[in-house]
Amino acid sequence: MSSIVGSPVPRVDGRAKVTGAATYAADAEVRGALHGLLVLSTVASGRITRIDTREAERSAGVVAVFTHRNMPRLARPEYIGFLKGFIPVQDPDIHHSGQPVAYVVAETLEEAQHAATLVGVSYDARPPRAVVADAMDEAYVPPPGLSGPNETTRGDVAAGLAQADVLVDVTYTTPMHHHNSIEPSTTTADWDGERVTVYESAQGGHATRICISEALGVPPGNVRVLSPFLGGGFGAKGPVWPHTLLTAAVARELRRPVKLVLARAQTYTSHGLRAEAHQRLRIGARHDGTLTAIDHVSTSQVTRTEEGVFSQSQSSRILYACPHVHVAQRAVRLDLPAPSFMRPPESVGAFGLESALDELSYALGMDPIELRLRNHTAVNPETGEPFGSKHLLECYRRGAAAFRWTERDPRPRSMRDGDTLIGWGMATAAHTAGGRPGAGARVVLSPAGKAVVQVGTHDIGTGTYTVMSQIAAQTLGLELDDVDFQLGDSDYPFAFMSVASATVPGVGAAVNRACTTARRSVIDLAVTDPRSPLHGIPAEQITAEAGFLRATGDSRRRERVRTVLARHGEPVEATTEPVPIPPGYSVGAEFAEVRVDPRVGRVRVTRMLGAYDAGRVLNRRTLRSQALGGAVCALGFALTEHTVVDPHRARIVNPNLSGYLLPVNADIPHVQALFIDEPDPTSEALGARGFGETPGTGMTAAIGNAIYHATGRRFRDLPITQDKLIRGANTL
Amino acid sequence: MKPFDYARASRPAQAVDLVASRDEAAFIAGGTELTNLMKDGVLAPGLVVDVSGLPLSDIELHEGRLRIGATARMRQVADHPMVRERFPVISEALLASASPQVRNRAAIGGNLLQRTRCGYYRDVGSPCNRREPGSGCPAIDGQNRQHAILGGSDHCIAVHPSDLAVALSALDSVVLTLGPDGRRSIALKDLHRLPGDTPHRETVLRHGEMITGLEIPESRAARNSRYLKLRDRASFEFAVVSVAAALTLRGRVVTDVRLAFGGIAPRPWRSAAAERALRDQPLTDATVAAAGRALVRDAEPREHNAFKVELVQRALADILSDLGGNR
Repeated sequence: MSSIVGSPVPRVDGRAKVTGAATYAADAEVRGALHGLLVLSTVASGRITRIDTREAERSAGVVAVFTHRNMPRLARPEYIGFLKGFIPVQDPDIHHSGQPVAYVVAETLEEAQHAATLVGVSYDARPPRAVVADAMDEAYVPPPGLSGPNETTRGDVAAGLAQADVLVDVTYTTPMHHHNSIEPSTTTADWDGERVTVYESAQGGHATRICISEALGVPPGNVRVLSPFLGGGFGAKGPVWPHTLLTAAVARELRRPVKLVLARAQTYTSHGLRAEAHQRLRIGARHDGTLTAIDHVSTSQVTRTEEGVFSQSQSSRILYACPHVHVAQRAVRLDLPAPSFMRPPESVGAFGLESALDELSYALGMDPIELRLRNHTAVNPETGEPFGSKHLLECYRRGAAAFRWTERDPRPRSMRDGDTLIGWGMATAAHTAGGRPGAGARVVLSPAGKAVVQVGTHDIGTGTYTVMSQIAAQTLGLELDDVDFQLGDSDYPFAFMSVASATVPGVGAAVNRACTTARRSVIDLAVTDPRSPLHGIPAEQITAEAGFLRATGDSRRRERVRTVLARHGEPVEATTEPVPIPPGYSVGAEFAEVRVDPRVGRVRVTRMLGAYDAGRVLNRRTLRSQALGGAVCALGFALTEHTVVDPHRARIVNPNLSGYLLPVNADIPHVQALFIDEPDPTSEALGARGFGETPGTGMTAAIGNAIYHATGRRFRDLPITQDKLIRGANTL
Repeated sequence: MKPFDYARASRPAQAVDLVASRDEAAFIAGGTELTNLMKDGVLAPGLVVDVSGLPLSDIELHEGRLRIGATARMRQVADHPMVRERFPVISEALLASASPQVRNRAAIGGNLLQRTRCGYYRDVGSPCNRREPGSGCPAIDGQNRQHAILGGSDHCIAVHPSDLAVALSALDSVVLTLGPDGRRSIALKDLHRLPGDTPHRETVLRHGEMITGLEIPESRAARNSRYLKLRDRASFEFAVVSVAAALTLRGRVVTDVRLAFGGIAPRPWRSAAAERALRDQPLTDATVAAAGRALVRDAEPREHNAFKVELVQRALADILSDLGGNR
C-alpha cells in the first residue's frame, strides 16, 4: 500500500492557479468598492508644513482625500505582528522617504492615481542619515526583540581566541534588500455595521485580524481576514503594515468598501526590508581544524522609530561544536523604512560564518568539508540537548558524492576551461523550524465520507494546501480526493504567521492531532456498532488507510470509512488548540560551481546542488521547489540584488523590478536537490520539519567561496558584480 | 497617470499634423517605453498619437542601403535573415535588448528615443535636470554607478540605454524623419544631444517630427560586426558597458574599423579616436590597448563608476579579439 504522505502528488491548487480560478486578494470582487491610493513623502526626515488637497478633491471621481488632519485616529497595535513604531497619516512628522502622507479615495483606480499627483505637500525637511558606515560610532546592542536576544555568549571568547593556532579576522558587508514578491501587498476592507471583512495578501491572517482590532478598537471577532492565495511573500506580508490599517479606517469612515493595491515602488517603503549589515568575524582554530572560538559581531540598520534586528547569526551560535562563542547584533539608526524579516533572515549571518569558515579552511590548508566534519555537533551546543534528528554528516557525504567534490583541485585558479576560470565552493545550510506559537485545526467528516480540514494558515506558494491535504488524508485513512483542506480565513482556528519555516511543523502537527482525534471517533463508531463487521474489536487494533478501517491481523474484517459515517448520519468533528512546537533544525550541504571570464569579470553560476535533511519528505515535488527557490534567492543575494539608496536624500533609487535585479532564468543553472528523508522522531507533523528557509542560508556563501576558488580573490562585499571583480586587477 | 487623449493615425502626415497641433502631444508605437513613463508620472502627454498602424514596417535592401521602417518590431529586425547575414551587429544588439515579450512589441523608432534608466530621472520624487530643468542632479554626488564617464556635464550624467542605437551608430546609419517642415535625413550620431546645460533637450527632433525609418549603408566591415554587452545579470537588463564593432582586415592590418560604445555616455558613443588608433595599423595587443586609451582619454569618472573606464577597454579588447580571429 503506497503512502499518501511522501508521494510527490501535484499541487492540489495547481489547476486553479494555472486556469486563473484562484482568487488572490486583489481579485476579490466587492460590489461598490472604491479605490484607494497612497501619497508618499518625498523627504526622509522632518515635518509637513502645508498640505493642499483642494485640487485633488475637485478632480473627477474623487470621494475623499485623507491627511493627518482628517484621517481617523488609530491606536498603534501592541501585537508582535506590528513592527512599525508609528502609524503614518496621524501627525505631520516624517520618519522616512516614502512614508504615507495622504490617502486618496476615488471611484476608479485611474481617478485615484491622477488625484494623488494633485496633492501638494510642503515640508520642513532635515538632512537625513542613510549610510550605515557613517553611523558606526553610534552602534549599540538593542534590547531583545521578536527574534530574541541580540547578544549571547558561551564560554570565554578571548580565551578561545588565545588558544587558536590559526586566526581569521574578516569583515563582510551585505546590502539592503527587498522581498519583491510578484504580488504586491493589497487590502480590500468591506464593512457591514461594526463588522469588517478584509481581503488581504497576508502571511498572517490572524495577525491582521488582531492588529485591525487593536488599531480600530473593534472586537477581534468582528474582523474577518481572507487570504486564500498568495503571490509570494518572502516575509514581507507576515507582519501587518500601516496601509492595511489605514484602508480599514478609511472604509469605515466612508461607509463604502475600499480597495488598495500598492504600486511596486510603494512596496519598497510600505513594508519591511532586509537591513544592510556589516559583520566582523574572528574565528580561531587549532591546526587540526578544531574551532576554539567564534566572535561574530554584526552591525545593521534600524530606524529612529524601530529597533528590531532580524538576522540573528544563529548558525554561529549552534551550528558547530565550539566552546567559546560570542554573537552580537548591533544597530545604528537611519532615516529609512523599518527592517523586518526577509526570506531567511539568517542568510545574512550564515553568509558571514560560512564564508569565514572557507577562509579558515584555506588558512589551515584543509578541505572545507573536512573542517566542518571536525566541528560537527549532534546536539545543540547552547543546551546540550539533541536536535530532534540531524543527519548533516550524511548531507555532506551525499552532496559531495553527487557534486563529485573529490575531483576538485583545492588550489585557487587551478581549474580552467580555456581562459575561463572554474570554481567550486560549498557551505553548510541550517535553519531552525518551529518553536512558534503553533496552530489549531478543525476537521469535519461528513456522512458522505468527505473531510473538510480548516486552519487559519496560508499557502505562500510553498505547497501548504497540498502537504496538509496529504497529512489529513493519511491520518484520517482517506483518499487524497476525499480531503478538502481549507486555509486563509481568520475564522478558522488560529495559526501563527506563515514565517520562519514554521508552517509544516506547527500546522502539520495541528492537522495530525485533529485528524487523529477524528479518526479515533470514527473507529469508536464502528467498533461499538453491532452492524459493523468491526464490532467488538478493541479500537487500538483498528487501522485506517485508503478509505478503509481494518482490523490488524485480520484484513478480511474491514469496513469503508464512508459506510461508518453514512450509518452514523451526522458529521464527526474534532478541533485542536494551538500548542507550541519545539524547534527542529533543518540542515544541508550546498555546493556551487561558477565560471568566471577573467577578461571582463563576468561570473556565471553553472551548477547548484544541495543535499538536505528536512526530516521526512512529505512531498518531494513541493520540497524540491523550496530548494530551487532558496537557491535562486541565494544567487540573487550573491550576485545581483541590491536596494540602492541615495546617500543624501535617504530615498531608494531603484524601487522597481527593472532596477532591483532579481536573477532571471538565464542566470539560473540546473539546480539539484537531494533529500535524506529520515523522519524526525520529535516532529508531530508525521516526522517532517519546516524547510523553506534552509536552502537560502548556505548557497550565498557557497557561490562566494566558488568565486574565490576560481579567481584566488575574496570578495567580502555583496553583491559580487563585475566592477568588483576587475577592480585593482590587470587581469583576473 | 494624467488623463490623456488618444488618436490613431492612418497616414504619416496626419500623425505629424496631430502631434504638431498640440504642445503636449506625443507619438506612440509599441508603447513599451512611453506608457511606463506615463505611469510613473515622468511624462504626461495630453494627447498620444498612435502610429503603430502606419505602413512603415518594411525591411529591405535598396541600392546598397538597408532600410528599416520605424514601426518594424525589434524582433522582426533581429530575426531578419538579411540583417543577420550582412549586419550582424544590429541583430545581436537587438537580441541583447529587453525580453522576448518586449521585442515582440517595441518599435524600432521608439527604441532610439528611449529615455535614460537613471533612477533619479524615473522618480518624480527626486530632483532631475533632465526631467525638471533647474531642479538639480542628485546623481553627480549620489548613486552614479550606472552613469556616464564621457559626454556628461555638471547638469546631467545620465546614459542612453538603447543597444540598437549603439550598433547603428557604428554603421554610419541615417535616421529618416517627417516633420511639419517636411522630410529630413539625420546622421544617427547627430540625433541625440549631449546634455550640456540643457539636458531636457534629448534629441535634435523638433516637436511633431516623427522618425519614419532608418538607412544603414552596406559595407564589408558591417558583415564582420559584433555587439558585446556586459551587464549585471544575464538577460533583461541594460548595459553596464557595451561595444559595437565592425572590422575589416587585410592580413593583420586594419583597413576599416567602426567602434561605438554604450553605457558610458549620454548618447551612443562613436569613438573616432579609438578608430584612428587602429586604422592602417596591425591588430595587436598594443594597438588595441592604444585604441582603448584613446577612447577613455577624456573620461570623467564619478565616485561609483570609475570601473567603467577599465571595463570598457577590456570589452573593446575582447570584441576585437573575437572579430580579428584571435580566439
